Amino acid sequence: MHPIVSIGTSHHVAPIEFREKLAFSEAQLTEAVQHLRENSQVQEAVILSTCNRVEVYAVANSMPSNDAATKMLVEFLSHYHRISLESLKKWTYLHHNLASIRHLFRVTTSLDSMVVGESQILGQVKAAYDASREAGGAGTILNRLFTKAFSVGKRIRSETTIATGAVSISYAAVELAKKIFNTLEGKTVAIVGAGEMSELTAKHLVSNGVSNVIVANRTYERAVKVAEKFNGTPLAYDSNLDFLIDADIVISSTNAPDYLIKRQPLADIMRKRRHRYMFLIDIAVPRDIEPDVNKIDHAFLYNIDDLEAVVASNLKDRQQEATRAEQIVTEEAKRFYNQLQIFQVNPTIKALHQQFREIADTELQACFYKASLSDQQAADVASMTQAIVKKLLHHPMKNLRCAVNDGDADHGQYVQALQELFVLDVKDEDLES
Amino acid sequence: MINFLFLLTLLIYLAAGIFQTLSLALGNRTEAMAIRSTIERIAFWATNIGFALLTLFIPLWWLQQGHFPMTHWTDSIAFFAWAVTLIYLIIVRLTHLRTLGSFVMPVAFIAILISYSFATHTAALPEPLRNYWLLAHTTLIFLAYAAFIAAFGFGLMYLMTERKIRKKKDTLLDNLLPSLGISDELGYRCTILGVILLTMGVIVGSLWTQYITDVPWRWLDVKVISTLMTWLIYVVQIGLRQFWGWHGRKAAYAAIIGFGAVLCTYAGVELFLDSMHTYR
Repeated sequence: MHPIVSIGTSHHVAPIEFREKLAFSEAQLTEAVQHLRENSQVQEAVILSTCNRVEVYAVANSMPSNDAATKMLVEFLSHYHRISLESLKKWTYLHHNLASIRHLFRVTTSLDSMVVGESQILGQVKAAYDASREAGGAGTILNRLFTKAFSVGKRIRSETTIATGAVSISYAAVELAKKIFNTLEGKTVAIVGAGEMSELTAKHLVSNGVSNVIVANRTYERAVKVAEKFNGTPLAYDSNLDFLIDADIVISSTNAPDYLIKRQPLADIMRKRRHRYMFLIDIAVPRDIEPDVNKIDHAFLYNIDDLEAVVASNLKDRQQEATRAEQIVTEEAKRFYNQLQIFQVNPTIKALHQQFREIADTELQACFYKASLSDQQAADVASMTQAIVKKLLHHPMKNLRCAVNDGDADHGQYVQALQELFVLDVKDEDLES
Repeated sequence: MINFLFLLTLLIYLAAGIFQTLSLALGNRTEAMAIRSTIERIAFWATNIGFALLTLFIPLWWLQQGHFPMTHWTDSIAFFAWAVTLIYLIIVRLTHLRTLGSFVMPVAFIAILISYSFATHTAALPEPLRNYWLLAHTTLIFLAYAAFIAAFGFGLMYLMTERKIRKKKDTLLDNLLPSLGISDELGYRCTILGVILLTMGVIVGSLWTQYITDVPWRWLDVKVISTLMTWLIYVVQIGLRQFWGWHGRKAAYAAIIGFGAVLCTYAGVELFLDSMHTYR
């Protein structure tokens, strides 16, 4: 049996100061994977290195104890990055077999990410796997493991909603705009009173298709400065709000003490723009837009609290979904681990069968040579030997498979005992088939 | 045999209606995630199979009656259901908006239920009506009705979405309903399609009576008047939109009023008033 072991660190357990020491650059990654492969104890290795985590997944050679395999990984990292063993022990986590598999699945499905449901991690794991494979790190077992991890990632995405729903205010605004307009292409956003938040929201809107940006500010210079960033139109407003006639989306964040946009003037503006939809986002405190504006036909007003409520409900939903996703991950990890064990036991079973059959065949030939039997008798003797072989192997094989299926940890010892007692020659190429 | 097949069609439409509505009702609720795709698939397959069966009935009845099956109003209402499903399937093909089915499939089901419950098939079609004019006239009118019903569905979808946005609850979690702009635009297109078809249907009908048959042309026929009223409701609606910017919520209400007018023209006149269009 080849145990899967992993060592890693992430934003959950270690500060940036430590993570950056442990990080692998692209060039280092290839080199490190090759180093690991040169180690006689390591059969396969994949290294994942992102800004939030560094993890090494390895398949150890034959049957060292789990501790020996992990010790080897710890020493490797300590040596490669020149980090003391103590700090490694303090800031990293170690997993074996099932725990390793489950951990990788959690990472790939973003359950272990800072923001659950984020979409980057899947791509990062894929890139890490590809790089390690090119460096010769991934073999039969890790290939299977990572392929499975990607498919679990896909399953989680299609069966749960952990990746849907905006979890920041600016994205919530974009999503809401998409619920109102048939398309954001060709729409105009007006930023009233430039601020960091409104700029960020406008940026997201522009990257989602909004084509025109109007920046209105009390001081013209400031408006020009912000407008430059978006290639937009700057203007200084006083009390005249006519520029809103062209605005489909309005983001307001001024320091005005009173309402800047009131119901009646806006109703007039809506008439002038032939009642085309207007989405107003008021992120100013105190508010810039009279709440009654939301009562105007085709004008939709969201203030900062409304947007925060949207975000909060999305986060809550993601949290709920995360629980469900955890169950799926655990279930998939168990199933995969089981399959992997059966898959690893198979070559031994095959070799044992073959040995028995070969012995039987040799003896049969000898017997046929010595005694002259009729065809019928020869056939009877041959089928009898076959039956003997089959019956002799029946119980050991059944019990071995049961041990694997029950998740019995002893089956590794069974396999080893079989290999040693019967002097089986189980080649690793058998694993490929 | 035909009766049994028709009962089967009725049941399949019932399933389609229920599952379509169920998929909308479940929305994107997390508990329902696992089964929702199954529900959607069943609903859509039921719709397709139901439509295929219903399509089979037209030639079947044609053979049975020896002419385009429009003898009794129960035939016509089944044909109405067929037209509604056809227009719905075309819209799904073009826009992938299956949610519309939650509104139009129940209508189609009720139509078939009525047809099944009252089916008599005893009356014979008067000789002068047995020709292709009948086919063209009724097909055009029913397709127009179907388009209006699709517009009605989009109107309801618009109002539901708008309510969600105004109430500021669960706005983003629900991806079944399209954006306001899309509901509005598609509803409008359906209205235009309906008006074009209805206009053509009325023209064919009037030419038919005027030049082909010797049925005296009666302007004061209830069905003609109410059809013209319906036509007017939709034309005015298009005009208001074009020249006064009446879109969105007002258009959605107009689509619902128009649907009421279609029902009155079709069912009301049929059942309660006397007209040369009445099936006997």
